[in-house]
Amino acid sequence: MAPTLEVRGLVKEYPGVKALKGVDFAVQAGEVHCLLGPNGAGKSTLIKCVSGVVEPTAGEILLDGKPLPVGKPAASLERGVATIYQELDLVEELTVAQSVFLAHEPRRGPFLDLDRMRRDAAALLRRLGHERIDPRKRIGELRPAARQVVSIARALSHDVRLLIMDEPSAVLDDGEIETLFEVVRRLTAEGVAVVYISHRLDEIRRIGDRVTVLTDGRTAATGLPAATPTERLVELMVGRAVEQLYPERARAAATDDAEPLLDVRGLRRMPDVRGISLQVGAGEVVGLGGLVGSGRTELLRLIYGLDRPDDGEVRVRGRRLPPGRPDRAIAAGLGLAPEDRKSQGLLLDWSLAKNVSLSDLARFQRGLLNVRAERAAAREQLRRLQTVPDDPERIVRELSGGNQQKVVLARWLLHHCRVLLLDEPTRGVDVATKAELYRVIADLAAAGVALLVVSSDNGELVGMCDRILVMREGAVVFEVDGAHASERELLRHAVAPTETADLIEEVR
Amino acid sequence: MSTQSAGDRQAAPPTGEPLTERRLGAFRLQEYALVIVVILLFVAGAILKPDTFPTIDNVRNMLTQASVVGVLAIGMTFVIATAGIDLSVGSALAAAGMFGGILVDPEGSTLLFIAGAIFFATLIGSINAIAIAYGRVVPFIATLAMFSIARGVALLLNDKLPVGLLDLNGGSFGDPAAFSLLWFGTGRIFGIPVSVYVFLGIVIGGWIVLNRTRYGRYVVAVGGNREAARIAGVPVRRTILSVYVLMGVLVGVAAVLLCARLGSASPVSGNLYELDAIGAVVIGGTSLAGGRATIFGTFLGVLTFALIFSLMTQMDLSTEVQQVVKGGIVLGAVLLQRPEAKL
Repeated sequence: MAPTLEVRGLVKEYPGVKALKGVDFAVQAGEVHCLLGPNGAGKSTLIKCVSGVVEPTAGEILLDGKPLPVGKPAASLERGVATIYQELDLVEELTVAQSVFLAHEPRRGPFLDLDRMRRDAAALLRRLGHERIDPRKRIGELRPAARQVVSIARALSHDVRLLIMDEPSAVLDDGEIETLFEVVRRLTAEGVAVVYISHRLDEIRRIGDRVTVLTDGRTAATGLPAATPTERLVELMVGRAVEQLYPERARAAATDDAEPLLDVRGLRRMPDVRGISLQVGAGEVVGLGGLVGSGRTELLRLIYGLDRPDDGEVRVRGRRLPPGRPDRAIAAGLGLAPEDRKSQGLLLDWSLAKNVSLSDLARFQRGLLNVRAERAAAREQLRRLQTVPDDPERIVRELSGGNQQKVVLARWLLHHCRVLLLDEPTRGVDVATKAELYRVIADLAAAGVALLVVSSDNGELVGMCDRILVMREGAVVFEVDGAHASERELLRHAVAPTETADLIEEVR
Repeated sequence: MSTQSAGDRQAAPPTGEPLTERRLGAFRLQEYALVIVVILLFVAGAILKPDTFPTIDNVRNMLTQASVVGVLAIGMTFVIATAGIDLSVGSALAAAGMFGGILVDPEGSTLLFIAGAIFFATLIGSINAIAIAYGRVVPFIATLAMFSIARGVALLLNDKLPVGLLDLNGGSFGDPAAFSLLWFGTGRIFGIPVSVYVFLGIVIGGWIVLNRTRYGRYVVAVGGNREAARIAGVPVRRTILSVYVLMGVLVGVAAVLLCARLGSASPVSGNLYELDAIGAVVIGGTSLAGGRATIFGTFLGVLTFALIFSLMTQMDLSTEVQQVVKGGIVLGAVLLQRPEAKL
């Protein structure tokens, strides 16, 4: 039987760049085929070719043995190719039912058939095992995982043969990922083929059947079993062995007498943060674990002064920070690398240099800005972080996610930050660049910076942190020494007690 | 061709995009294109009206007239850089002139008039600023309201009548005494009108502030991504507040230049100047969405407008036709800006 999707010798050239240099791979009906590769390897271009958004320069795409018309998204959709993108493309103001049938609403005469829309949406959600999602609810009221399910339901509202998921788990926490996997398993049981893109190797083992690795626009290996050892996959992706993901580092000695660099006392902003106290000492890496929505990001925003607390205070080196004043926080030595680098961390159309220097312009102004000194200083920090490219004149938008994150970090290195708040620093970053970012974190800690790191990747928390705090519903519910922490324990404390038993069972 | 200057032979994820595009390359291109447009327009004028267009007198005239809108356009560049807009500048200009006028009527000095006009325009700008930065009113609405208020005030100040300013410090058309009010509008130094010096000074000052000061960087950062700017420590609200105040000051300067040229303050002057100023900014390449601004582009935009209207006037096209053309050009310029969003 012909595979559901077969790609042969696919080439895509952009002016000046060959994004795909000949990619072959095949996906069988009912399998979850994982697509791996570093950022910029061509994964996005490949799926855009298959979904018809981009027209390939050469090569063939066959669906169920028959050629798929290229460069025609509507044709791809009609033949049963549905794509769910990383950035969910749902409109918050619409209801679930409206979202599912957006642009192909059932009609009766010239009017929308609202009843049928609601009924059919409910049926699709039931098919996915999520009958609890009310079709009349607005998207804005749903949690990320539920939105993901609605996206899938929308894909299913067409007769889907092939479902492409681009980093669907990036916005989900562990519990929600399991829900997502359950949906994927239902679909494959019905014979749908799934292409699954993710940077998290543990997920591939949990959900994948086979793996294809792309590097530099070529297929490095295809059809590997999902059980392929991690080292082998990383080697294929990077082209060499990554000796060590997490750097060795001397754990900060518990210095009880020294004053903590960051001292948070009773910080509260209802309903997200319900009274939190924590300290981070010089050279210490403290992790903040917990589920998405447990209040971690909100806590960082309060500490940094982006939001005003109802109660509580933040002290840096013993000095109290005025609430609601990020500029004063920065002056006191704080830095924040926000969760969403693109929308919160960077000015995408600006040069690297201007992005790096933005918090430190006073330093370059003697009457007028010394643009040359600014560029030189930016270049120095970018080089230190091995940012590629490190040309300070380049526009940030052109950089990959990992390198954009380095631009944000370069800003705080330039500022000689004493306390650095990192919110999901490695989300959407490939393994090789992750290892580099961990190296940077370790170096900063060694230089005496206090780091508070929010992460949904428990492996990362265990691998990097001296101490880990787990948040749940706006409070710290668990604290553990990094050397003694286990991923499973972190997860157990992150989810509410009632859910714990089944979830642990499933994850196992 | 990834640049791997760092020692480690690191797997550098090559970006999927063409690597070549230098910073703001497309943006610069627009400026170069405008220089050519300005030259072509001048050549076209010289061919169509060889006797009257390419003359010293006409050039002088064009520049004198352009300087009023030009000063407004420089201020507007700062406002639009923050992703804002100021629709009240034309009315505010009239109100500022009228305020200065009644202050010096029947007798007073040039200095008092200038101080009065700039004070009143700054006051109007500050009200806009506070409504927008602290009252969180959308700039479009806040300044649209002010558009109406300021025009009403201009008409009320002297019972709908203009104020004559000819006598201030001994001016007379043709040969105004130095530092008389008329001198600012019609006097010359080395054959170049004083108002053109004022305009060029503000262009140069504006370029320096926007490109070579921390404040200018903040202005563009706020327009480019307000949240990212705030996280980087930019005082967002103060920056937004400041651009509308600055706009007010420049409206005052423009009011002085206009009244000085006409020898009077009129409550109906400045009509649709906001469109001229915004049009010049947009033609110059400053993004209406904020985050990108060019003073040099605005300067070229002002020249382009001046040439087009001088040419149309000499071709005996009515003001109604000119109005249609003006709106069309602005619409076209905004349409041309669109594809950049996809880059």
